[in-house]
Amino acid sequence: MGLVAALSQAGAVFAATIAITVQEPGGHPLAGTVITLHPLEGQSQPAPAVHAVMDQVSRAFEPDVLVIPVGSTVAFPNSDSVSHQIYSFSPTKRFQLPLYRGTAYPPVRFDQAGVVTLGCNIHDDMVAFLLVTDAPFYGRTDATGSWSAEVPRGRYRVSIWHPRLRDEAVDFERELTIGDTDRATLTLRLAKSLQPARIEGRPHSWDSY
Amino acid sequence: MGQLLKHPGKSSSAARCLIALCAAVATAAHAADWELDVDARLLTSDGGKSFLEAGLGTVRYGEDQSGLRLGRARAAISQPLGEVWTLRIDASAWGDKDKSPVGVTEAYLQYRPYPFSGYRLRVKAGAFYAPISLENRASGWESPYTLSSSAINTWLGEELRTIGLEAQLDWLGTRTGHAFDLGLTGAVYGWNEPAGVVLATDGFTLHDRQTPLFGRVGRGGYEPLEPFRQIDGRAGYYGGLEARYLDRVVFRALHYDNRADPTAYDAVSRVIAWRTQFDSAGLRFESGNGWTAVVQWLNGDTYIAPGGFQLEWPFNARFALLSKRVGRHMLSARYDKFVVERGKGNPEEDGAQTGHAWTAAYLFQLNPQWRFTLEWLRVVSNSYNRGEILGTTGAATETQLQLAVRCALGSSVQ
Repeated sequence: MGLVAALSQAGAVFAATIAITVQEPGGHPLAGTVITLHPLEGQSQPAPAVHAVMDQVSRAFEPDVLVIPVGSTVAFPNSDSVSHQIYSFSPTKRFQLPLYRGTAYPPVRFDQAGVVTLGCNIHDDMVAFLLVTDAPFYGRTDATGSWSAEVPRGRYRVSIWHPRLRDEAVDFERELTIGDTDRATLTLRLAKSLQPARIEGRPHSWDSY
Repeated sequence: MGQLLKHPGKSSSAARCLIALCAAVATAAHAADWELDVDARLLTSDGGKSFLEAGLGTVRYGEDQSGLRLGRARAAISQPLGEVWTLRIDASAWGDKDKSPVGVTEAYLQYRPYPFSGYRLRVKAGAFYAPISLENRASGWESPYTLSSSAINTWLGEELRTIGLEAQLDWLGTRTGHAFDLGLTGAVYGWNEPAGVVLATDGFTLHDRQTPLFGRVGRGGYEPLEPFRQIDGRAGYYGGLEARYLDRVVFRALHYDNRADPTAYDAVSRVIAWRTQFDSAGLRFESGNGWTAVVQWLNGDTYIAPGGFQLEWPFNARFALLSKRVGRHMLSARYDKFVVERGKGNPEEDGAQTGHAWTAAYLFQLNPQWRFTLEWLRVVSNSYNRGEILGTTGAATETQLQLAVRCALGSSVQ
């Protein structure tokens, strides 16, 4: 299992705030982790669709991770002076944006939940991820590895995702019941170390051959 | 800028042509990416006469070339043709005595369809470098770590160019939830029969001067020759594989065989076909805190058999490079070891060479446009031909110190 333990699961009576902290195996906070909450009781609707933007700046996607509800659209402007092509062959959404600069295409709509990996067919070092979720509640951890939200009381499946996680997403799920307290907290510590982060500051011209 | 200063009219007009050509192509096509670089050197050397001047020096500049020189003036254009085709042309002036002041080092058409189900095909047709070097990774096939390439990659730049067709099939594991990418490469090519003659004459050298497609490369004691010639009608091939771990580790291995007919001889150009085969392997490791380590290995032989006798030169070279990048500063060190052996059929040590080299370089990248590099290179070698052809001692220790100032402009310089 990817998660060692729910280190603390406090409160739980009449609470409506959920606070989740994600840590690396050594206890360091893991920023940028995507957290989704799916109710395990009753019917739930995905969060309202959004119109998001993923730019391309200095031969990198900006941001390089986006989490959006199903039905959302994402615009992919290219702010670079060089041209880019975007492709995805992820089953969640297959598409291509032929070679362009500026704002050449209308936003792309994402109707299916899952992970979409994006690349540029010209610049191999460019990679980005979209997590399309059908959860009513979602977010990303901040620099302290924390995320919180106001949610109705009930039982939830808490899932986390990060582009550097080594295992399948199913390993990173926990059930959590928010009962009668004002605040439920959950601290998740990964059992395995993450994949190395992408190397920063390396000139793009170094990938010419 | 020795040659530029000696022939200011000729070279400045060439530079104007380069700039005009780039500007014209870039203007005509909106999506073209272009780059212009000028690399000037202030250097001191106690090396033997340069290989470009019929000498057997192992560094680019001989003792008589100390001073201000042109390292390289380069213009490159990458022109998309439709959606999945791209034309790339890389031209350079080296400020030395080649046939023309400007030469094309690479020119090819690339077919790069969109990936399908995690696989991607790339096809190149034209003239380009085989995927061997893990050091010459920057635009213009330059090393970002040092000014002078390793012995292995210097030789590739001198005598080898794929003039033909190459296909590469990649499995894009990192785009499908894995940590690895894998690739297979195969190529057929021609116009490479003389490849090997420089190695058998000069031995290994360490510099950054690449031979243009219609350019010439010098040989100690002989007239310069054009290495990219076809005289026997036989195509060569290579096959290689590449494995990558995320953006951190690259492994490459390749088998090369130009399949030249060693008995072929072109009476008009007086060119002999050199049958050259080698295996190469290399590993590059990069850490998240600026360290890079590169090792490469090359082992093969070249032989000729004109007129019923056979002469063979086995060769072997390897190097290890370590580099540390801190912000805009980078320090690199490299150790090279190389040998060209006396092979079967050789009555004497003709062409034999052994040597090793140390390279140290400090690089300061002021901004994307301006870069300053200080490089110290010492080559210790023993060459039979130095004594036999030039009448000097076979053993030599050559030291070259260069300060390079490089200015780059272009749509991809940012």
